[in-house]
Amino acid sequence: MWKTILRRLLIMIPEIIILSVLVFILAKAMPGDPFTGSINPKADASQIHHLMRVNGLYDPWYQQYWNWIVHLFHGDLGTSYEYQEPVTTLIAQRGMNTFWLALFTMILTYVIGLPLGIYAGSHEGKLPDTLVRVYTYITMSIPFFVVLVVGVWIFGYTLNWFPTSGSIASNANGLGSTILSRLQHIILPGLLGALFGTVNIVQYLRSEVIDAKSSDYVKTARSKGVSTKNIYQHHIFRNSLLPIAAFAGYSITGLLGGSIFTEMVFSYPGMGLLFLNAINYRDYTVITSLVLLYGFLNLLGTLLSDIILSIVDPRIRVE
Amino acid sequence: MSLLEVRNLKVHYPIRGGFWNRIVDVVKAVDGINFSIEQGQTYGLVGESGSGKSTTGKTIVGLERPTSGQIFYQGQEVQQNKLRNSVDYQRNVQMIFQDSLSSLNPQKRILDIIAEPLRNFQNLTADQEKLRVLQLLDIVGLSADSLYKYPRQFSGGQRQRIGIARAVATNPKLIIADEPVSALDLSVQAQILNFMKKIQRELNISYLFISHDLGVVRHMCQQIAIMHRGRLVEVGTRDDIYNHPQHIYTKRLLAAIPETNVNSRQEHRQKRLEVERIYNEQQAKYYDSNGAAFALQPVSMTHFVALAPTD
Amino acid sequence: MAAKIPEVTQISESDLVRLTQEARQEATPTFGKIIWREFKNNRLALTSLVLVITFILFVIIAALFINTPKMMTTNIMDYYSKPFNKNFILGADSGGRSIAKQLIVGSRNSICIAIGLTVISSTWGICWGMISGYFGGKVDLVMQRVYDFMMILPMLMTIIVIVTIIPTYNSVTLTLILSVFYWMGTSRLIRSRVLAESQKDYVAASKTSGTSNWKIIFREIMPNISSLIIVDTTLSFAENIGVETGLSYLGFGLPLGTPSLGTLIANANDPENITTYWWTWLPAALEIIILCLAISYIGQAFRHATNASQQ
Repeated sequence: MWKTILRRLLIMIPEIIILSVLVFILAKAMPGDPFTGSINPKADASQIHHLMRVNGLYDPWYQQYWNWIVHLFHGDLGTSYEYQEPVTTLIAQRGMNTFWLALFTMILTYVIGLPLGIYAGSHEGKLPDTLVRVYTYITMSIPFFVVLVVGVWIFGYTLNWFPTSGSIASNANGLGSTILSRLQHIILPGLLGALFGTVNIVQYLRSEVIDAKSSDYVKTARSKGVSTKNIYQHHIFRNSLLPIAAFAGYSITGLLGGSIFTEMVFSYPGMGLLFLNAINYRDYTVITSLVLLYGFLNLLGTLLSDIILSIVDPRIRVE
Repeated sequence: MSLLEVRNLKVHYPIRGGFWNRIVDVVKAVDGINFSIEQGQTYGLVGESGSGKSTTGKTIVGLERPTSGQIFYQGQEVQQNKLRNSVDYQRNVQMIFQDSLSSLNPQKRILDIIAEPLRNFQNLTADQEKLRVLQLLDIVGLSADSLYKYPRQFSGGQRQRIGIARAVATNPKLIIADEPVSALDLSVQAQILNFMKKIQRELNISYLFISHDLGVVRHMCQQIAIMHRGRLVEVGTRDDIYNHPQHIYTKRLLAAIPETNVNSRQEHRQKRLEVERIYNEQQAKYYDSNGAAFALQPVSMTHFVALAPTD
Repeated sequence: MAAKIPEVTQISESDLVRLTQEARQEATPTFGKIIWREFKNNRLALTSLVLVITFILFVIIAALFINTPKMMTTNIMDYYSKPFNKNFILGADSGGRSIAKQLIVGSRNSICIAIGLTVISSTWGICWGMISGYFGGKVDLVMQRVYDFMMILPMLMTIIVIVTIIPTYNSVTLTLILSVFYWMGTSRLIRSRVLAESQKDYVAASKTSGTSNWKIIFREIMPNISSLIIVDTTLSFAENIGVETGLSYLGFGLPLGTPSLGTLIANANDPENITTYWWTWLPAALEIIILCLAISYIGQAFRHATNASQQ
């Protein structure tokens, strides 16, 4: 077990290195330099040249890459010239918003997905099953950003049930109303994300339940008089619990990717919106840091899922 | 000169393990075996599952890579790593598989299945090819309307006939038959076996007949080799093996043939238990400390048994 | 050598035509027929199919008659012209540009990119998966590591960064950039199926029949996973419509002045547009929803048909 985890960690190292090189190349390929905007606009070319030299921007690329990595390890991601703040501070603020939204979405996904999957599986071929299959068919077909736009139009602007932008109301004071206001802002995007993100869980659980129902061990248990409820609780559900939990790790990739759309539509000040603004302002330090961070989070997510799955099924442990 | 000679063939599979995935051990699926097959002869290779008999067959047709050892075809050595590239060898050594359904591509029509080796080894026009396939279907006793059908439309016995038609399409000299009838009903088994014999007479083919069923082997083979744990434990003619078995493993296999005479059931059972007892007691005399059989020693002109060195 | 077979069979060349004809009458329905039968019995699927094909043909042909630069010029007089009037069936946007015309050209652009993306990324993914699954071993290991790495890349962000780096690009380069990032799902699906298929005996039989590896991959294994490929490609087409439009919605898809369904929906980013001037974005959103649902449903029908045919 520990060997598997350790080996899996070893495989991560080259992935992180390649990711960082890629991000570094992308950063170098971006037009412009990081100083033209950050200092006095009247600064002449020689001053910029001086700054470039001092900051090592004329060094060979491997030297620059090394410097960048060393800074990374010291937790120094550079300074955003758009916000004139260290990138770490910036990401810490926005990161919390994205984190809460993602956590809320994930919890809702499980709350909706688990019962639907089991219900559909146990009523295979009947009306509830058909309805659930229509639901998964619809949610997996429609592009998510269209859902968000239509959702904010109906429930935000037209019905006025939910706020349509921001992460907290400006007049929220005190702990209670702060939490309430934050919750109010993430309910609609979280709900939409969850409703349209359950496909994997529902389909997996449904087929798992259907398989289990016809498996010999369930038939034996049933013939011995174990109650249906007991069978579901102790056999079927328990067996599929860990694989289902493993989805959480993989879904981080989806949640992070989706966060760009969600935060755009709801003007929700998280990392996705920060990224889009940074792109528009050519705020390179922020862009590279975010790409690197998202890649790293994806890596952690898959690592987590792989570990969970290797606990469940020794056959898929990394050879 | 033998048609095919196998010399000291070894097929070992590495077991990887430990943290760095290094080779920690090897499975000796085939561990140094020698035998030769004559033209027109059926050579039986018998053993329990896992004894390495299928691996031997697959290595000879080139589906597995030998770790070491040599294969001579008509006196000429076939390069191990080029087994599959030698056109002449490929055309002359074909294979029949155990699972007739899985060995026929479900998405291809019978015409295309049987014509596959023809297309690879012979330049025929479409009409010649079709005629040839029709002739082959006729040889294996299937009607011409099978031509455009798919494998799933046939019964197990019919599918095995199609597999045989494909194997004989290029007029091979040797066919490796890997448990060709084990998956079939008993009544169909006899049909297929007789029919394999008939083709053998007509086309002068040699078989390497791989089986775990000594009853079937007795019906088919003149020469028999018994394989256990990757090594040959006894080699001889049909008479040597069935009437004068020397190795305890051979005796045990023979005792396991079901007795059809109900009256002597009790007696047969006694005999089987006795053989089993001897087998358990005398392990040390017939296997070395690693559990591998000893090298073969001649007992008569035709009969070889793996016995402990006598010195 | 070839003379041997006619000696043991009575079929001669004169029978060829007659027997072939007989066989043809007995032939089984093809894959195309099975799918046709499914669509004939499933009215909704047939409607979807007709709808999607007619719509694609309509926008491609209609877009030929629209002068895009002229359509995209601002015309203050028609500022937010309401829909259903005689000049603008679907109204106009803030620049007085016809929504209906933009919708047609935008649909053409978005659908063509989605088709191109599907063709390139699916072909790539299928080849990747088949090679990786068939050869296994070190080839598979290396290819899987590349796959793993692509999976952890923050795709959307990387694409946006690349799009901003590249100074000039058009719909072709955009399609190529997107294709680099959207083949993994297909490759994974195909690999796992090919892995299972390669273990079957018909692959071994093809090897012993002298068929080359590439031929085995594309001519033997591929037909067996063709149903999977058709279903997956249809479903990825529906998915890929969302890829370019999503990117264009964010403002990083097609260059300025090239309408896309995504840029039309991006009109909804303005809080005033989304409520008051709903016609600027809602038709495009509805079109994507209906199109994706229809294509996806066709995919489901394919899946149903192929599942039924395999039983």
